[in-house]
Amino acid sequence: MALLADLVQNTLDGVALGASYALLGIGFTLIFGVLRRANLAYGPALMLGAYAAAWASLSFHAGLLVLAGIAVAASIVAGAYVERLCFAPHRKGAAAAAMVASFALWMQLEEVAMLAMPRHLYAFPALYEGGPLEIGPFVVRVDALLTLLAAVAVCALLWAILYRTRFGLAVRAVIDDSRAAGLAGIDVPKIFMLVFALASAIGGLAGFLIAASHEQVTPMLGMWSTLKGMLAMMLGGLGSLPGAVLGGLALGLIEAHAHWFLGPQLRDFLVYLLLFALLALRPPWMAGARHG
Amino acid sequence: MLSVRDLATAYGKIEALKGVSLDVAPGSITCLLGPNGAGKTTLMLTIAGVLKPRKGSIRFAESEISGLPPDAIVKRGIALVPENRLVFPSMTVLENLQAGAYQRKDDLGADVERVFARFPRLKERAAQQAGTLSGGEQQMLAVGRALMSRPRLLLMDEPSLGLAPLVVDEIFRTIAELHRDGATIFLVEQNAHMALKVAQHFFLMEQGKVTFSGNPGSLAEDEVIRRAYLGSSR
Repeated sequence: MALLADLVQNTLDGVALGASYALLGIGFTLIFGVLRRANLAYGPALMLGAYAAAWASLSFHAGLLVLAGIAVAASIVAGAYVERLCFAPHRKGAAAAAMVASFALWMQLEEVAMLAMPRHLYAFPALYEGGPLEIGPFVVRVDALLTLLAAVAVCALLWAILYRTRFGLAVRAVIDDSRAAGLAGIDVPKIFMLVFALASAIGGLAGFLIAASHEQVTPMLGMWSTLKGMLAMMLGGLGSLPGAVLGGLALGLIEAHAHWFLGPQLRDFLVYLLLFALLALRPPWMAGARHG
Repeated sequence: MLSVRDLATAYGKIEALKGVSLDVAPGSITCLLGPNGAGKTTLMLTIAGVLKPRKGSIRFAESEISGLPPDAIVKRGIALVPENRLVFPSMTVLENLQAGAYQRKDDLGADVERVFARFPRLKERAAQQAGTLSGGEQQMLAVGRALMSRPRLLLMDEPSLGLAPLVVDEIFRTIAELHRDGATIFLVEQNAHMALKVAQHFFLMEQGKVTFSGNPGSLAEDEVIRRAYLGSSR
């Protein structure tokens, strides 16, 4: 019975953890799906958003909603900077050049954060001040529940945008075949820019939720977010948005169970082992083969 | 209607078009023939704005369009049915048609019905993903998608490529019908025999240059075919 209780509790924790990974995975996948480029500066851009919010919180004790708005807005600005500098000039071919450029901007954005706010760690207001919910023998953190709700809302909104609007039609056309999309009369560079902004906004929200549930920000948030987003995308089959959500949840579940049963050192090892196995074996749901 | 002058396009250092000049008259079917690697697809992609020319001019309806991006070319009234069709595979047939009319903000219902009337099989498959269609159906969808922008000039790059003979007949019947309904068509074809049956004018292209221009009667068909496949120098 104790084992079963552990399994249930870990699953609850894992889903909560996975919700933020799912958000990161969606943002990463949107950019990868549309541009066919891995944006390594994705995490650092949203880290800068979280830093801007932390600064606003320390300077004039802004409320949580305002902080979320600041994190999203600053992430969009940082994302636009990355898009203009790394991806707009390298649109045709040169995938490696764009990726390396995004790596350089990753370093640069991290330096900007550390120059602006030189302490390694800054406090971030908690998403929820009260204690956890207790359901029978199980405990659920309220901030985790809020993160999960936000992730569900973002997925629903994104679905509506992609499948119910003219802009969404264009985005899906560009994902399917960007040359054909141009020939159909779609302004492809403009779609690239708008998708980048959308992905950055989702990333900014994820950064805010993560910072608020950890109650702190450090420059490590950048690398951490890029890694988790990329893992969620890859586990979910490289380029599929529902896959990124499932990949994020799977990553959260694996981490929660592994953490409990194997300890924190083996947790990350297990995740990367699984990723290696997936990339080596390429099971049929991995669409990566099609994208090259 | 379309007039191309001294157009040169290169991929890096490789010149694919070396000064191409040709005209397409309004209301005509004009055909471009030539062996593989002659630069036919490059010419189509340059007119459609996918490739930027190194020099030369492309005038359409009295204004210069060379160097404009693809979406601006569509706005001017030129639509390309690309080689290998390039339908949007994960989108439905109906969504593919809607994407073809992306520039337009008016009601598309009548145009969708017109495409469905021309290609009844697309209507049956309206809600199906385009990637699941047969090659012939995808070709019809690619034509329908291009028509959705209400082009004044329709460019078609190898519409019969890889299709079964019966389907090829159907595609050429469609081309003749579109022409009868008033469309101007500029067609690249490997199937010289079929192309010469529908075209009023044709150009031969070899190694990046136009080497012959005439009416289907002006050169014996077997001579045209020989040069279209093999080039005149061999």
